[in-house]
Parts: sequence; C-alpha cells; structure tokens
Amino acid sequence: MHDIAILGAGRIGRIHAKNVGGQPGLRLKYVVDPVAAAADSLAAETGASVTDLDTALNDPSVSGVIVASSTDTHLDYCLKAVAAGKAVFCEKPIDLDLDRARSAQGVLGGQDVKLFLGFNRRFDPNFQGLKARLTSGVVGALETVHITSHDPAPPPVSYVKVSGGLFKDMAIHDFDMARWLLDEPVTEVFAAASCLVDPAIGEAGDVDTAKILLRTAAGKICVISNSRRSGYGYDQRIEAFGAKGLVRADNVMESTVSVWNEAGAASDSFQNFFLDRYAEAYRREMAHFAGILRGDELPSVGYVDGVEALALAEAAGLSAKTGQVVKL
Amino acid sequence: MIKVAQLGAGRMGAIHARNAAAHPRLGLVGLVDPRPDVAGPLATELGATPMTFEAVLADPDIRGVIVASSTDAHLDNALSALRAGKIVFCEKPLDLDLARLLAASGELEQAEGKLFVAFNRRFDPHYRALKARIESGEIGALESLHIINHDPATPPPAFIPTSGGLFKDFTIHDFDLAPWLMGEKPVQVFAWASCLIDPEIGRLGDVDTAKVVLTTASGRLCMISNSRRSGYGYDQRIEAFGSKGAVRVDNLTNTAVSVWGETGAQADRFPYAFIDRYAGAYAAEMDHFADVLAGKTAPEAGFAASVASLELAEAAARSAATGAPVRL
Repeated sequence: MHDIAILGAGRIGRIHAKNVGGQPGLRLKYVVDPVAAAADSLAAETGASVTDLDTALNDPSVSGVIVASSTDTHLDYCLKAVAAGKAVFCEKPIDLDLDRARSAQGVLGGQDVKLFLGFNRRFDPNFQGLKARLTSGVVGALETVHITSHDPAPPPVSYVKVSGGLFKDMAIHDFDMARWLLDEPVTEVFAAASCLVDPAIGEAGDVDTAKILLRTAAGKICVISNSRRSGYGYDQRIEAFGAKGLVRADNVMESTVSVWNEAGAASDSFQNFFLDRYAEAYRREMAHFAGILRGDELPSVGYVDGVEALALAEAAGLSAKTGQVVKL
Repeated sequence: MIKVAQLGAGRMGAIHARNAAAHPRLGLVGLVDPRPDVAGPLATELGATPMTFEAVLADPDIRGVIVASSTDAHLDNALSALRAGKIVFCEKPLDLDLARLLAASGELEQAEGKLFVAFNRRFDPHYRALKARIESGEIGALESLHIINHDPATPPPAFIPTSGGLFKDFTIHDFDLAPWLMGEKPVQVFAWASCLIDPEIGRLGDVDTAKVVLTTASGRLCMISNSRRSGYGYDQRIEAFGSKGAVRVDNLTNTAVSVWGETGAQADRFPYAFIDRYAGAYAAEMDHFADVLAGKTAPEAGFAASVASLELAEAAARSAATGAPVRL
C-alpha cells in the first residue's frame, strides 16, 4: 500500500484525490491546502487527514505526492517533494516561466527522478486510440495534424489575468499533444491570435482566439485552433493525416440519443467541460501513477515534456506579438 | 432558347458542354476545340456543330460563350468574346498571372456584368446552405473558418509546371471561398508549405502540402489545409465558428450504406473526383449563367473575384517562400 499526500484541494485536486481512492494499492493519507475549509472538506470526504507541507514531506510512509496546488507553486513543490525522495504526480503546467522551469533541470531532469507531469489528454482513451492507430501504420507516415481545442465558455477575467495567457494556460495542452503525436521536435512556430470573444480579455492583455502552426525539421505541420468560447460545449477533436489516410477522434456526446424531426436530426450535446470529457483520462493518469509507485512503469510524460510545451507556448506568444515565425 | 457556344472540349469542357446542352433555356450550338478528334465526338453527342472561334464571334445569334479552353488561353478568349459583344462564362481561373490580369483591368471593369468566372464551389448546395446559416445569425457573429481541401491523388508531374503551382491552381478555390464566407477581405496571409507526398513535385519547384492562415481587419481567422493526396478520396469540408456555435459541412459519401463488422463500422467512400463531388455545383453554375444571359441577375463572380483570389494566392506563395506573413 502506497500512502499519498495531495497538495491542493481545489477543483483539480478533488478529482485526483477521489481517483486515488479508486486505485487499488493507493491510499490518500494527507491533504495539504492553505484554504482550511477546502482541505477539511476534502479530507472528510476521503478519510485523509489535513496537515502541512513539511509534515507530509517528512513522513517516510508517504511515497507519492500529488501537486495540484496553484500553478505558481507547482515547480517549488516538485523540487521539495523530489528532494524528499517522493514520487511526484504534478498537475500541468510545470511552471508559467520558461527560465524558471529550465533552472530546475539539475534536480528534476535526472533520469531516475520519478516525476510524472499530468498532461491529461495523453490519457484520454480516444486520443490514445488515435495515437495507436497512427503508430500501427494503418494510414502510412504522418504528414499533418489538426487539433481543435475550444472551451465552452470563457473563464472570468480575474482568472485570465493570472493564467499566464491563452498559450501557456490553454494551448499548452495542445502543444504537448502535438509533440506527442508528431513524435519529432518542432522547429518553428507561427501564431495568429485575436480577441474576438470578450473585449475584457483583450483589456487584460490576452487573446481568446488563435490559430497556431507548428513545423518540424522534416516539414510535418500541425495546426492548433483555440477559442475560449465555442458556444456549443467543449470542442476537442484531433485529425491526423498520413500518406495513406486519416485518423480522427471526434467529440464525445453526453449520450448517443438523437432527435429527428422536421428541423433535421439533433444529436445530444458535447460533454460540456474537461471534468466530464476527461474523467476517464484522469482515472488513467492515476493508474499510471500507481504503476510508477509500484515500480512497474516509468513516467511516460515528465519534466522535459513540461519544459518543451512551455517553450512552444512562449514561442507562440512571441509570434502572435511580433507577427513573425519563431524558430526554436 | 438562348444560343451559346463553347471553347474547349477537354475534361472540364465536357462537363460544361453537357450541362449547357441539358439546360432547358440554353441551346449549345457550337463547340470549338483545335483537336477535331476531341471536339467531334462531343459535338455529335450533344447535337452541336464543331466551329472555329472566329465563326462563333461572328455569329450574332450566339449570345453566350463558355470558355473552357486551357488556362493560359482563358483571358484572351474571354476578352475576344467580350469584344464581340458576348456574355461570357469563363472557367476559373481567369488567368494565372496577376499583372497580366490587372493589365486588362480597364476592359474587364467595363465588362462587369457580362463576365461570369465560374468558381464552382460557391454553387455547391452544401456551401450555399452553410453561407445561408452563417448569414441567418444562428451561430452569432462569425469568428473563424476552417477549410479542408485535400485532393485524392497527386496530378501527373507533367501537369505541375503549367499549373501555376499549388496556391494558384488548387488553393485558389479556398481563396475565393474564404472572403465569400467571412464577408470580409483578408488583410494578412501566412502560409507554410512542404513537399511531403511526391519528391518529383518538389523537384519541379512546387509544394504538395500547405497550411494557410488568413487574418481579416477585424481579427477573424481562417485556416486552410491543402494536400495533393489524401489517400481516402476527395476531402472537402468547411467549419465556421461563431459566437454562439458552429456550422459545418462534412464530406459526402458515395452512398448512405455502411457496414458494421467486428472491426467497427465502415461507411462508404467519399466521392473520389471533383467531377462527382461538385456535379451539382457545375449544373447550378450553368443555371446561373442562363440567368445572367436572360438579364435576371448579375454574375456571382467576375473580374474582381478573380483578382482578389489571385492576390491571395500570390501572397501565400510569397509567404511560403519567405517564411513571413504578407500584408495586403
């Protein structure tokens, strides 16, 4: 049995804490959160105890730490947990500042460091199926990838201001997905971005709509489409074009029910947001973390992936600002 | 019955000639093609007379001329017919050279209303319905547009040097559709292009795979994806994203039949050739020409649309060559 401490009892922390409970061999021992009410309520629900960071990290019975705290603390907590000899599951992103993230290379970049970075979309069964079909060669050599990643509705402007901006906060998922699917380094980035959804986002210095192009040295091209507001649910699709065909993963509906009438055929709505759409991905992440703790698996995505995705996000931000291609 | 004659009895010519001959308000009386073995059988099939271009121009009973000759002859043929007082249906493109086109602007602007340039995709019933749904306001204000335009298979290498290149030959359709659907002209063009399919196309100085991003003055974004070879048929899709939702046109299938087996559900194939996918559009554009000849409507597209799409094509080629966005 592996005892787990979770840092952060917010929205994503609650998801991970509950998935710990669903994972044979894992037991949630501690909840750490400066917001006492959040920590108390999650601890009560999961049977864990509330404690502070030092107690959790100094407890030798704790073998795994889940970092689901606010983004600006991710890197520090990873460093502390790794230094304490824990296996770490860190929620994405590793950090919002590329230089700072890179400065942790000495501690977090080591081969034997057990740091799993939770880019959840790699664990979505649909996208895993897509990747498996690509790898199988059924559509020949990969040439281009289209990723559509549109949120249902924009976040509050107060969130936008601390989010790191569209590229680091939202497109970061797509940068990781692109790296995972292209399976070779991206050498150039171009981004065209606008504020079309909410002028308040523009006033906060951010954008809400973007088309991003990534290109590899071999000439493979990936298109990422982002919008902070679709108006029709969480639009999460990928198409991968190969020499012999196409593999696509479409949106997941709330149900398979559709209504046919004089106006046409109406399907059910798309699953509305990430907690629903990626529920299974979050479970699979925890299963992977359990495998890492057992010593059966190595982290399939880690520190380097976090830094590389952040580098693409910074490059896209720079490209959108200057209007020019950014070479990596 | 309005008498028309046609130049060109090749692949496109045969489509237009058959549609003209079948049209209830048009009479195809003459067919012009320097190759008697090509013109003869088609003329016989359709009850038309093989004629010289001079004879067509001199015949006052022939009111309409359909120009479906080789691309490099389009502009000269159209100008000759206009000078002879004919109403002209010209297969796209009007010309491959922007400077040459602009050199004829005085004469062509005079002929506005008498020259219809057949950008067939505007007449596809699916795209027309898409445009109507955008304009109805049901998806709110349009924000971005994705156009996927992939050919089933590469053209013969011999075609490449005379084609004008991917952007003028192929993307030109998308460069016409994008402003038509967005209701706004692009002010910036960015294009990345690769040769991923056939090295011979690269040796001939062209590309076979491209992603283009257009930006309008109000910040609307359009992404165009092109490939000379899909491996699965003619991939012709459009998605328009608005403030309240999205509207899309998917690929058609040859039949509505699908087969369900142990490996999943297999839908029928997509139409392989443009002739099949756009058969309805070709018939609709001939109907439009009949209306233009009858004075019922102004041409849907003419000189101005030809210049606008060619400007975008030249800008895209420049962007792909320099790696920098091109401002218009």
